[in-house]
Amino acid sequence: MDISTIVAGLLTLIIFSFLYKDNPFYKMAESLLIGVSIGYVLVITWSNTLMDMLFEPLFQSGKLILLIPFLLGLLMLGRFSNKTAALSRIPIAVMIGSGAGIAIPTMLYNRTIKQLTASVMPLFSPDGTFNFAGIVVIIGLLSTLAYFYFSREHKGKFGLFAKVGTYFLMIFFGTTFGYTVMSRMSTFIGRMEFLLSDFLKITQ
Amino acid sequence: MNRQIPLVVCFSFGLMMFLQYFSTHTVARSLNLAILDYWQIIFAFTLILGVVSYIKVNMTKISRGIDRPYLIVGLIGMISMPIMALIWGIKADSPFMWMFENVQAPMASTVFALLAFFVASASFRGFRARSTQASILLGAALIILLSRSNLPIPYAENLSEFADWIRNYPSMTARRAILIGIGLGSLTTSLRVLLGIERTWLGGEN
Amino acid sequence: MHLLPRHFVFIGLFLLIGITMALDIDVDVKVSPYTKQMHAYIDSIPEGSTVIMSFDHEASSLPEIRPIALAMLRHAFSKNIKLIGVSLYPEGTLIGYRLMNNIGKEYNKTYGDDFVYLGFRPQYIAAILSMGESIEKTFPQDYLGYQYNAIPMLTSITNYDDINCVISIADGSLTTHWIEYGGQFDIKILGAVTAAMVTTYDPYLSSNQMTAMIGGLRGAAEYEKLFGMKGGGARGMLAQSAAHLYVIFLIVLGNIFYFRSRKKGAKN
Repeated sequence: MDISTIVAGLLTLIIFSFLYKDNPFYKMAESLLIGVSIGYVLVITWSNTLMDMLFEPLFQSGKLILLIPFLLGLLMLGRFSNKTAALSRIPIAVMIGSGAGIAIPTMLYNRTIKQLTASVMPLFSPDGTFNFAGIVVIIGLLSTLAYFYFSREHKGKFGLFAKVGTYFLMIFFGTTFGYTVMSRMSTFIGRMEFLLSDFLKITQ
Repeated sequence: MNRQIPLVVCFSFGLMMFLQYFSTHTVARSLNLAILDYWQIIFAFTLILGVVSYIKVNMTKISRGIDRPYLIVGLIGMISMPIMALIWGIKADSPFMWMFENVQAPMASTVFALLAFFVASASFRGFRARSTQASILLGAALIILLSRSNLPIPYAENLSEFADWIRNYPSMTARRAILIGIGLGSLTTSLRVLLGIERTWLGGEN
Repeated sequence: MHLLPRHFVFIGLFLLIGITMALDIDVDVKVSPYTKQMHAYIDSIPEGSTVIMSFDHEASSLPEIRPIALAMLRHAFSKNIKLIGVSLYPEGTLIGYRLMNNIGKEYNKTYGDDFVYLGFRPQYIAAILSMGESIEKTFPQDYLGYQYNAIPMLTSITNYDDINCVISIADGSLTTHWIEYGGQFDIKILGAVTAAMVTTYDPYLSSNQMTAMIGGLRGAAEYEKLFGMKGGGARGMLAQSAAHLYVIFLIVLGNIFYFRSRKKGAKN
């Protein structure tokens, strides 16, 4: 067995030891994971982004226009001191402003309008059969939206309609729970496959 | 002044990004590309900021003696990654890649795998048919799980089709309503940010 | 050693998965319409077309994501589709690079001619929008440091207009951004996601903003079946089915205890 498998296998078992109770080995592994993950992000961000997009074109190819984002980036680091912290608001403003500006048409068209349009289906299909699913979709959508509408008290007919919305929400949560169970089990199965076949050599 | 300038900058960049959406003019496209570049570069700096903050917080904790051995291990792990990348690079079969594949990835995925156990435990302890709503939730979850269990039972095919129908219509439409709600919420928040009504992102007093 | 009730639930799950995996029995999975749709789309892509494969996930979901990514990569390479790999999450960067290289070698594909890995860009919305304008300006170099215009397969690629579709391999909501922001450029978006995320994307599939989607280990097993291979998805299906039944058993048992205690409470 190679050293890579031994290291990965032992670390896997240490993490699983948490299932019995919290212990110093688990805490050590957890700290190592956090540290290594942060170191990883630092390296990838530096080599794959800042070098590629900023430092090489700026200092090697002389693209002086990049001094603007470089300066904005440096202002971001102003947060380290109380005296200069206010300067970081400028680059934050650039990011927040750009994000908000592009989000307005996107959220309106690519989310709201497109989703609403897709909810309106013909009541009868071309062969003349009644489209029951279409009714379910429109009632589900309107009643769920009614449940999230808090400007009117949920009483009387409106309250009843909003309650129908909660039933649809419960179906969604139940379906999502089912798929989440599948997802979590898949991850565990993946780790068990590694332990049983690569580390312990019990299965092929 | 400390708040006025960022508000003006925010409005200007927001307006530019909003207007470019409707234009195919070369100037608009170039301006859009430049802003998107700036956005990514500034974001990369915020990641660096986070890393340095992590070091600062940990150093303070270590000097006070809180969880010292664990924090030292974390810091060693953090520092070792850039050192390895600097010496041997980040390409295939480098020590940096080895650390990612044999230390980081197995641990991260095993931490995630722990959730399988907590989901199982929660299913036993908390998933009760206490009310109509809870019963519907439970019923939907059971149908989905049963239909995806590959059981050689009668009507397995019909069960699978029914599960697909639940997913495609009642479940999907509730999720759609949530999506539309979030969409409208994001839209109004964006407008409030651009118009300077929403200022919490500025933080602080001055 | 003091064991709590939850420990017995944990031990049960450990034993169940361990035993079912050791048994190594093949389970015949029924292929869902969702997986058929995905397979049919990839199958219909003309030979020589270029597809972006975006590794938008973290290392934590690798056991679930890996079989899906492998099945899709194998299908794409076997169809002689040219692949551009990118990553919008730092952790997906190395994973994507490794997987593309390994499967590329398996199909005798040449780096630079048949596939290329561009690497990571932060701020996914900006990266997606930026690639819509110019992929070269977004990635002046690839992951290995080669200049964009020095890579043969990229010489004819400017932006999404030259791309057949984007396959987002994701464990979170990043595919949403591909759909909503990438959708502005009329590019087809396909999702290969973790099972936990499928219900999140159902409205997009229903509105045709997403062309196709497969989810989770089961999705991978179904895809492997259609492609005619046995991979990580198929190997895990017996354990997956057993785990579902175990959770159903726990839910039912918990409810029996609950109703019995409620009955007792009412009597008292």
